[in-house]
Amino acid sequence: MTRFNLPDLGEGLQEAEIVRWHVAVGDRVAVDQPMVAMETAKAVVEVPAPFAGVIAALHGKPGDTIATGAPLVDFQLEAANGTVADAGVAQGGVVGHMPETGEIITAGHTGARGTGHRARVLPAVRELARKLGIDVEELRGSGPGGVVTLDDLLAARTAAPLAAVAPLPVAAPSAMRPAIGLTETGELEMLRSLRRAMAQSMTLSRDSVMECTVFDDADIEGWLPGGDYTARLLRAISAGCRAEPGLNAWFDGENHGRRLFQPIHVGIAVDTPDGLLVPVIRDVAGRDAAQLRTEVNRLKAGARERSLPPADLRDFTIMLSNFGVMAGRYATPVVVPPAVAILGSGRITRDVVATGHGIEAHRRIPLSLTFDHRCVTGGEAVRFLAAVIADLQLPA
Amino acid sequence: MPRVTLVEGINLALARALADDPDVVVIGEDVGVNGGVFRATAGLQQRFGKARVQDTPLAEGLIAGMSLGMATQGLKVVAEIQFMGFLYPALDQIANHMARLRNRTRGRLTCPVVIRMPHGGGIHAPEHHSESLEVLLCHHAGLRVVCPSTPGAAYGLLLAAIREPDPVLFLEPTRLYRLARQDVLDDGRAWPLDRAQLLQQGDDVTLVSWGAMLHETRQAAERLAQEKIGCEVIDLASLSPIDFDTILESVAHTGRLVIVHEAARTAGLGAEIAATVAERALYDLLAPVQRVTGYDTVMPYFAMERAYIPSVARIVEAVRTCVKA
Amino acid sequence: MKTVAEFAIGREQLLDASGAPTGPLPGFAEDPSELLAMYRMMVLCRLFDAKAVNLQRTGKLGTYAPCTGHEATHVGVAAAMRPEDVVVPVYREYGTLLWRGVTMTEILTYWAGDERGNDFAATREDFPWCVPIGSQSPHAAGIAMAFKVRGQPRCVVCYIGDGGTSQGAFHEAVNLAGAQRLPVVYVIVNNGWAISVPASAQTAAQTFAQKGLGNGVPGVQVDGNDVLGVRKVLADSLARARGGEGPTVVEALTYRLSDHTTADDASRYRPAAELEAAWRLEPLPRTRRFLEARGLWDEQREAQLRAECSARIEEAVRGYQGRPPLGTDAMFDHLHAHPPAALAAQKALARRFGGGESH
Repeated sequence: MTRFNLPDLGEGLQEAEIVRWHVAVGDRVAVDQPMVAMETAKAVVEVPAPFAGVIAALHGKPGDTIATGAPLVDFQLEAANGTVADAGVAQGGVVGHMPETGEIITAGHTGARGTGHRARVLPAVRELARKLGIDVEELRGSGPGGVVTLDDLLAARTAAPLAAVAPLPVAAPSAMRPAIGLTETGELEMLRSLRRAMAQSMTLSRDSVMECTVFDDADIEGWLPGGDYTARLLRAISAGCRAEPGLNAWFDGENHGRRLFQPIHVGIAVDTPDGLLVPVIRDVAGRDAAQLRTEVNRLKAGARERSLPPADLRDFTIMLSNFGVMAGRYATPVVVPPAVAILGSGRITRDVVATGHGIEAHRRIPLSLTFDHRCVTGGEAVRFLAAVIADLQLPA
Repeated sequence: MPRVTLVEGINLALARALADDPDVVVIGEDVGVNGGVFRATAGLQQRFGKARVQDTPLAEGLIAGMSLGMATQGLKVVAEIQFMGFLYPALDQIANHMARLRNRTRGRLTCPVVIRMPHGGGIHAPEHHSESLEVLLCHHAGLRVVCPSTPGAAYGLLLAAIREPDPVLFLEPTRLYRLARQDVLDDGRAWPLDRAQLLQQGDDVTLVSWGAMLHETRQAAERLAQEKIGCEVIDLASLSPIDFDTILESVAHTGRLVIVHEAARTAGLGAEIAATVAERALYDLLAPVQRVTGYDTVMPYFAMERAYIPSVARIVEAVRTCVKA
Repeated sequence: MKTVAEFAIGREQLLDASGAPTGPLPGFAEDPSELLAMYRMMVLCRLFDAKAVNLQRTGKLGTYAPCTGHEATHVGVAAAMRPEDVVVPVYREYGTLLWRGVTMTEILTYWAGDERGNDFAATREDFPWCVPIGSQSPHAAGIAMAFKVRGQPRCVVCYIGDGGTSQGAFHEAVNLAGAQRLPVVYVIVNNGWAISVPASAQTAAQTFAQKGLGNGVPGVQVDGNDVLGVRKVLADSLARARGGEGPTVVEALTYRLSDHTTADDASRYRPAAELEAAWRLEPLPRTRRFLEARGLWDEQREAQLRAECSARIEEAVRGYQGRPPLGTDAMFDHLHAHPPAALAAQKALARRFGGGESH
């Protein structure tokens, strides 16, 4: 029940007389509906209903004088929804107004669960599965509590192209039965460390890269004495990348995108007793010959001692394989993704060449450029090679 | 069986406790003659007398401190702080003494005190009357913090709190005091004190909330059902300790969690829940945990309070974000 | 046993309940403009109060704390203060703040749940209303400390209710004020009630004025419905403070003629007879009779004053209702001098969802 007292009727007067009621007890009224006519010293004033509700009591009859602030009408309010119009007095509060509705709460809970099962997977693995197009719900999890792990995912991976390193599918020894009748096969030497990494890396390359190799020679008969061979090769690669930046790039076969790089980080194939290692010379274009030599020496020494930190062994943008130290003129060197090119230099030989002045013997470097034809065109490759040759053929 | 509002449910529980146990004493400002500024203690002093239902002087620190003293002598004190916004003067006594008494005396002295207070806003009240400060209490070991969301829960949890031998902070959602009614059997049966309530089952997302926000949370669940998104709704009820088993079991089923609380976002209780779920249920999650909370501002004066308090629309949007992820 | 300390509490009354002087009056009582200014403000308060209650009852204002009955205390205190002094109120002292330049529009805006009501345009250093009871007491001591440190001849007046004196913060503040001789006057408005708790249940102390004595601070009572008495006692206390003699606790005896707030119903806990008796002691008629006896007032001037007040109130209400609506940015824009970056996203979220209301 909410009580409405006679408000200040706007004239600062202390009281007013009831002239006529427009409502009766039990009437339902709307806000602002004319409720009662009150006479003040000056005029008859209409007082509107301040609330919507049912009239519960009238505190006077026509002719009665009501003091300002004294009770005038009692209301039974409709279910309020928190409007301030409900004075809150009947709620017995001291501030504010608590909303009231007609809701009756019934106990017990609602709804029901479906019976589906869901694989338990790390969010990162779930995301990778989505990229690989593998339905993670089909996998059996080998982690604790049946959690699907990254290994589970990769083991289930089909031959879809991958930007990540794939593990070597390990065949069981019994599957390596030779086709020809060899009765003694000897102990199976498991590939470890560098050899294992090479097997994995080459498998990945074979499965993804579209390799194409172009061959040519650089005539270095005109070299001035004292030239640093490796440094000249590195400088030539820089020249090639300037002419064709598309070979200094990474290719993302999954998303069909490539990243071009500004700096040139050359991975140099180094032969060690344990296997192939590829240390990286950073920012080749920013170093002079002496600096290149120093860095190459450091990396080669470190490679042989197996003391290079991981940072020196990763993230090259293009590769160099100076394979021809002892034998081999031309080759089809292997592109290691995500890089898209590898330049191979063979054994320097004294070749018979036809020049404008007749037949001469010139020292020449055989060059083999393998490129990933998914990402690099033949035109780009030969322009790169032409620039490499042009730089190599400079006297110094 | 009486059909009662939440505040009437509290009154019923207090009357039952006072009647059943002569050691129960109710104290606070305006609780006696006036029956409390929300009528939570209406009629109690008339029925049980001035020694058992006491009007205290106007001092919250005093109320908390004297409760502790009375409790060590075996009285079971149910004290009232008139609004959670006025908790601060009492925090010294609550944190430095009530929370620690059992521990520092090796159990020799204990503090079976319940401190009740209205919690949260939405009633058009002046400043300081609309605060949600549960996190301050939950952070202190040695305290239990409870927040009912229905008349039945208010009755059952308050009785449990009064019978609990350690201090319990009993947060009463002001906005729900008179909102709805429920049939509550006055049988003196207490609810378990550290259990969350699974109010609704579904397949797609778990909604966790407490206090007045359950109102908007359930409305959001209804709206989402129309979009064919099935919600589980958990009423946390016990804010300290938190019943993680119920939450984790639900998240294992749905894979998605949205936490809704009126209190401000940063360092709110939602952060604790999200961190624990990340710790213990990462493999179950299909999407990041969402929190729908008050903003990192002071609780505004009431002209803006509806913009501050998370709305049904905000909750629905958070769930849709979760489901699309 | 010999007595080592004795204390006394005096009570001042210059106008009795019928408006007759009880003895010689101080200087300001000889100045008609001073007297009329005080009376006019008391009437404005009374009419404004009724208007505010009416606004709340008709849904145009939130919960409001009425001041009817307190006009002599609130106006007498303000009239004794200097503009450069600072007042630290509770939430009922409209007469004091209106005297000092706060507007009725600002007061209504506050009770409408709109923080702009605290941004007093005129009196920039006065504190806004304080809801957590008693917590304003140390603030006042701090302001007074600043005056002392800076050597400024300014004073603080801090209000508190009978209920508020039960809070520890009050005693801590008064104690410091005494120990440091701070230029602050604590005015305890004893209106008999702290919501539903009568002053007799609040304390066993015979007076509230003596609550400073335990902290070494002198106390004095005054009839809070006697505007001349209130002004004199405050003037004397402020002179002491300004002269470096330290604080005073002043207890103004009055009565809360209204409910605690518009959401309270005092008839539940307060005897009707007591309320009726209190109305007979209320400040407006006795002040008016005093003025009429001096030939300074009459019925016609009263009617004219009330008409002027009503017009000013209506204008203030129009200003209140016509104030620009709040946007959600208002929740964020006044929190920090340097807002943290993370808050921008929340501000944008709040804008998207909107909400809020206006009266």
